[in-house]
Amino acid sequence: MEHYIILARSVTYAQRMQKSLGRAGIRCHIFRPPRDLTDVGCAYAVRVAVSDLPEALTALHRDGLDPVQIFLFQRGLYQEVEA
Amino acid sequence: MIYFDSAATSFQKPASVAAAMWEALASMSSPGRGGYPAAAHAADTAFQCRSELAELFGLKNPEQVVFTLNATHALNIAIKSLVPPGGRAVISGYEHNAVTRPLEALGAKVSIAAAPLFEPEAVTAAFDRLIVPGTDAVICSHVSNVFGFIQPVEEIAAVCRSRGVPFIIDASQSAGVLPLDMGALGAAFIAMPGHKGLYGPQGTGVLLCREGVPARPLLEGGTGSQSIRQTMPDFLPDRLEAGTLNMPGIAGLLAGVRYVRRGGLDKILAHERHLTQMVVQGLESMPGLRLFADPGLRHQTGVLSLTAEGMDVETIGSALAERGFAVRTGIHCAPCAHRTAGTLNTGTVRVSFSDFNTPEEAARLIRAFYGVLGRAF
Repeated sequence: MEHYIILARSVTYAQRMQKSLGRAGIRCHIFRPPRDLTDVGCAYAVRVAVSDLPEALTALHRDGLDPVQIFLFQRGLYQEVEA
Repeated sequence: MIYFDSAATSFQKPASVAAAMWEALASMSSPGRGGYPAAAHAADTAFQCRSELAELFGLKNPEQVVFTLNATHALNIAIKSLVPPGGRAVISGYEHNAVTRPLEALGAKVSIAAAPLFEPEAVTAAFDRLIVPGTDAVICSHVSNVFGFIQPVEEIAAVCRSRGVPFIIDASQSAGVLPLDMGALGAAFIAMPGHKGLYGPQGTGVLLCREGVPARPLLEGGTGSQSIRQTMPDFLPDRLEAGTLNMPGIAGLLAGVRYVRRGGLDKILAHERHLTQMVVQGLESMPGLRLFADPGLRHQTGVLSLTAEGMDVETIGSALAERGFAVRTGIHCAPCAHRTAGTLNTGTVRVSFSDFNTPEEAARLIRAFYGVLGRAF
């Protein structure tokens, strides 16, 4: 199923993102992204539905939270997208 | 045992603290180290604890809440982040060894803003005189661990802000008792134990860090983030939290913080002051006894020191212990405070209260003092 993942610099940052998105009424969950998506090692990310991304980015921006990277998961592959 | 040594550590804890620790042992692994339920549960608990502490101390961002082993650990990080070897620091006359020993180890040039007990205006004036260009940091305990003296951290913070000098507050005796708004104070760091007025278990401490203030790790190691890099992350809390977190401790601390927030700082302080006032009134007419009490306890929390003419403080403490009372005697790891108050040669007997003490216990302590000191009650 298609979705976006928003990478966070740490688990605590991902939790802040989850809280911010929750306040905006956006459901998401925290998970560990595939190893090859990050070149610095262990990371955490939040996963959001494709239709929720614009609103999710608005909410994160409002709360001063910067994604490290954003990927679209489609047909079994991750593709980086611009924030 | 009737416990009056809560300035060292609060011995009686809410039942919810032990329950939370047991639950953590049974259900949590290491936060930030995996995506499975036990790691996620630990991460959720740590985040809740950071968030509640941030709310309690006026911080918007829970990432600024760093878990430490205790207040000493937190103070070491804060001091060594700001004061370089041979640097300059201004401290109050009531500091603990947790402040003075790290400064000594750094070879810092330390100016002491000494002022008489329970005279906050004099403390502010002393800091105002001593904070000069080139000062690397100002460090002040919010409340003296020996005398319960509430120092004017709001006024000192204003002086620091006006001179552009970073301010470190040691909230070891005030966290959970007095309000502290880090955002309003603009302090660089606030250090506190989790196991005193916040009613968490021993082995827990907290360092609140202002955004943008450089924080230097005391330890390097795994953080569960940016693992390939061989330098510590440049973001909080990971930068200062190398190694596995004390999850049973943090779960217990969260329960303690919730207990304090539910009860209310003002009510806890009023209760402890009431008991302090009872003991002061019960003992003040005893011949030869010197009580270090602020009239009306306006600038004092539930910590009371005393000395008795003709009797060593350790003898008094031992005699009270034989009668089932736990008090602290001696120098209380704070020779700086005793030097300022003029009690370095004798030390003091310190009685300190928590939310769990009762008026009946205070009344029994008064009677015990009369018995120990050989005076008729």
